[in-house]
Amino acid sequence: MRSPKREVRYGRGNASDEGDPVLSWEEDQPDTSLVPAQSRVRTMLENVLPPVAGLAVLIGAWIAVIRWQHTSPLIAPSPGDVVNGFRDNAGDLLTAVWSTFQDAALGLALSIVVGVLLAVVMSQSKLLERAIYPYSSLAQTVPIFAIAPLIGTIVGNSQLPVGHLPIVLVSFIIAVFPIIANSILGLTSVDPSHRNLFKMYNASRLQELLFLRVPFAVPYILTGVRVSSGLAIIGAIVGEVYLGNGGPQDGGLGYETWTAGTQGQWGLLGASALSAGLLGVGVFIALGALNTVVLRRWHESALRPES
Amino acid sequence: MFAAMDIAAGSVKRAQPGEVLVTADGVGKAYANGTIALRHVSFEVKQGEFVTIVGPSGCGKSTLLRLVAGLGSVSAGSVSICGLPPERARRECHDMAFVFQDATLLPWRTVLRNVELPLQLSKVAPAERRARAVQALATVGLTDVLREYPRQLSGGMKMRVSIARALATQPELLLMDEPFAALDELTRSRLNVELLRIVALAGWTVLFVTHNVFEAVFLSSRVLVMSRRPGRIVAEVPVDLPYPRDPAIRTSLDFNMIVSKVTAALSEE
Repeated sequence: MRSPKREVRYGRGNASDEGDPVLSWEEDQPDTSLVPAQSRVRTMLENVLPPVAGLAVLIGAWIAVIRWQHTSPLIAPSPGDVVNGFRDNAGDLLTAVWSTFQDAALGLALSIVVGVLLAVVMSQSKLLERAIYPYSSLAQTVPIFAIAPLIGTIVGNSQLPVGHLPIVLVSFIIAVFPIIANSILGLTSVDPSHRNLFKMYNASRLQELLFLRVPFAVPYILTGVRVSSGLAIIGAIVGEVYLGNGGPQDGGLGYETWTAGTQGQWGLLGASALSAGLLGVGVFIALGALNTVVLRRWHESALRPES
Repeated sequence: MFAAMDIAAGSVKRAQPGEVLVTADGVGKAYANGTIALRHVSFEVKQGEFVTIVGPSGCGKSTLLRLVAGLGSVSAGSVSICGLPPERARRECHDMAFVFQDATLLPWRTVLRNVELPLQLSKVAPAERRARAVQALATVGLTDVLREYPRQLSGGMKMRVSIARALATQPELLLMDEPFAALDELTRSRLNVELLRIVALAGWTVLFVTHNVFEAVFLSSRVLVMSRRPGRIVAEVPVDLPYPRDPAIRTSLDFNMIVSKVTAALSEE
């Protein structure tokens, strides 16, 4: 890695003698000191208020329906019941969220590695693409509850260290397809004039892949990862329901949700479902931030809108 | 000055002045759908010449340039570079560079790393490719934006980076496909002047494609006029104006006589 700090002054060619000004870009940077503080507060309010208001309306409607219908807590939980569900099971829920997060993260990581590798292979050969691509979509359309028990018996009877592996595999199966699909799209939609450029400079296939296709595909791959992050969590939870060993430690949110559902603990059910949702949102936001950090230098999707 | 002289000196093998670099002999190009893009195109480009192909839009002049670069295959006739088929010449001599219609910079690379790209592809050592890229950028007057990304540059600056990228490879022959077509008139004429200066310093032989007659005459030592599709060369107009050419030449009588000659040839066919 070269140090970005190192500043070297290079002698100029005589191009500037032509009176052709070399622009200084510092001048074009947005100068926030010119934006009145009032309008910055306003922008913040405009960003924060709508979602808060939306949530308030949603919860208000929920409370209203429960009150007006005089619904028994045995039929449906009120927001209060869900809050109580959180409070009374905070420890278990945290343990469960952590366990599910780990399973989903491993499942997602496996999807990224396998998905991108498969996409790279397919991008190099139309024949391989035709041979593999149609079946990769099977991964997300086959009913997962048909495969989950199979994975359990196969892994359970193999030499592999079992642990959470079957759960991770279920998560992987559900999450891998969007990554394959997006990576393929990115790897194969490179600009033809860029390909000609590489051809002109006698680039090998490997060089074209590493210096052109892969960097070009990064925004597509990251989008695939964001789509898959939610699926990986759903996959982990479904896997936990079928293959978890019981308890929040090994069964995660799948176990919590399942037991709450079978025992009629609607407050806990709501709390664990919401926990799964919050976990998903958290992961989505974190990946969005990663997206911005990786692409902020060059890709339109990560640039601040210029006002 | 010093920078550009170094670039010329770094070259391995140079053709002699007057040696034929490009030969197109009866070149024809037909597409699978039956469209005939080119018919019986023959010309030569000698070392040190600045030859421009001028013709109406869609006459196949860009196609012709791509054939010279070996980026497509001829349907009839042949193209050779220093006696070799273009693709072999490209691999064995490394002495051809192509400047495309758009700047074709990689948006995820800084200006410096974009100019380094061809050197990186031909496995030049990092220190040397850095030095050569910096020199090339100095020659086009862009030392202040080495660490910027292409999206931060204007169209004219992007094109100069693209020219610097060609410069860094120290080519013998430069192929340019309407490189300034997307720029405003002011930037275009300024870059024309700058291109002539760099060509003189680097000792390039240039084959240039444009639809702009003024640009063609100002830059070239010889203009080839192409007809509408199927493209043929209908006239060859030598430009006997001495280099280095002053921008003011564009208002001179001699200049405009040649322009009207080319224009007449264009509208004749």
